[in-house]
Amino acid sequence: MNQGEIGAYAERYGELVAVASNLEILLAKYLARVPHIDRISARAKDPERFANKAKKLLTSGVDKYDAPLQQIQDQIGARIIVFYKDDVEKVATIVDRYFRYVERRDLVPESEWEFGYFGRHWILALPDDVIPPSVNQSQIPRFFELQVKTLFQHAWSEANHDLGYKATKKLNSDQRRRFAFTAAQAWGADRVFEELRHELS
Amino acid sequence: MKLTDIHSFLVHPAKHADSQPTISGTSVPRKGSLFGMLDKLFERAPMECDVQIVFSPDDQGQQNNPSRDSLESYAREPSVPRGRIVAERLQQVTTHRSGLGLLFLLKGIGSQGHHSLVVSRFPADQGVVAQENAGSLSVEFLERVFMKNAKAYKSAYYTTSSLRAGFTDGKAVDRQLSGPRDLSEYWIGEFLMSELRTTGPAGTRRLAEALRTAVKTAKDPGIKQELISAASLMRNQSGKTRSATAIIKRLGLSDQAAEAITDAYARPELMSESFRFEADEFERHALYRAVELDTGALLLAEDARFDDVFHTELLVAERKVRYTTEGKIVDQRFRKTK
Repeated sequence: MNQGEIGAYAERYGELVAVASNLEILLAKYLARVPHIDRISARAKDPERFANKAKKLLTSGVDKYDAPLQQIQDQIGARIIVFYKDDVEKVATIVDRYFRYVERRDLVPESEWEFGYFGRHWILALPDDVIPPSVNQSQIPRFFELQVKTLFQHAWSEANHDLGYKATKKLNSDQRRRFAFTAAQAWGADRVFEELRHELS
Repeated sequence: MKLTDIHSFLVHPAKHADSQPTISGTSVPRKGSLFGMLDKLFERAPMECDVQIVFSPDDQGQQNNPSRDSLESYAREPSVPRGRIVAERLQQVTTHRSGLGLLFLLKGIGSQGHHSLVVSRFPADQGVVAQENAGSLSVEFLERVFMKNAKAYKSAYYTTSSLRAGFTDGKAVDRQLSGPRDLSEYWIGEFLMSELRTTGPAGTRRLAEALRTAVKTAKDPGIKQELISAASLMRNQSGKTRSATAIIKRLGLSDQAAEAITDAYARPELMSESFRFEADEFERHALYRAVELDTGALLLAEDARFDDVFHTELLVAERKVRYTTEGKIVDQRFRKTK
């Protein structure tokens, strides 16, 4: 049940908070000259959420994670929110320049007829710069997750997470359709602002 | 550290070959002088492999990597057939320039009881064996001698707490990392399908910023000048893959100047991380502008801030320039000219 690793995570949580704070500063430094950034944030995964993830089982009933401290790659997560869709590319160029990625993907709904979560995600090597000298390097995860989203993508995913993902009851067809509708509206708003920006600049 | 399994394979150069030569492989017994030598190699690998590497993603950006798969497969069940898959991958990227090599796969238990895997390639060389026999000497030419060659030795070290979880990243040593592209790409890029953990721009910027901080904080004008001169010389490192420590050593900086740079790093270990030096990135973050006038005046400031620090006025009629600045004196010393 990975109880030992769950306990170890809780013990090192304070150190991960310090690392996340330094990571936020490093990202802000690298992106200092990129316009239209609404916010940059980084966090250490809450111990309870880590525990829930570490306890996940595969359909076969076997633990999904054999060594969660090594396998869970979003123990430290960072997020960059930008104004417009074009700005995602500008941020991506800087991210690829200064960080080594082992995974990079655009999250989009599977079909063109669907609307839901949109965003760009990376799994990046955590640079040692962000580990305070007092912290033992071997206790810190080797990678972190970075998400880059527009304001509208972010707004939708936050509300969807709060209402949809955390819902205690299974969503009915109409509710799912309404979530998709709001995702389409967020997608449309991004699209229109992108067009306006090109027309007006 | 305890070495439990050793396999060895003779790897031919067969990159772009129409048919791949059959690879001979064998299990090496855990006794005798060969074992003694490999046991030491296994034990020293965590220190000797000093280049941090990560597995490259596939073309879709996903964490799929055939090299990692073959290494993990061998580590889970060390055997000649599984090791041969690793050797075949090496053979497919080995050019005639790299030549014949002997591949060793060493599996065992490392520190903290973690599973450890060391992958080493000994290049083929020629040699002479000399034997003394009752006052006489016999010499014999050997065509295929495999040596831990100081100039071409390559190795990689991986460790994990769980073989099911596998390896996430590793460390390597490659004595040809700063050599011609086909040689420098061969071990880490093509065979291990990995990249340096630190990108060129990140490592270069880190060094540039540390140098800038060192110049700012150095109290001794001699050290300050030495560091500024180092900034000019460092541009020549462009395209080379080295650590900050190696670069400083090559420039022959004094101990005090080297210490000033080390102190400016967030962690001292960062000094030993290898990266590909990028001159453009370096100039963006460490460039100092020095202007010397015919009056003997010498003006010096960070390039990015030079125009803020010095107000420039062109005196067109006199074909001269007037610089003005103001501030508090924080340091003033006399220094001998060279």
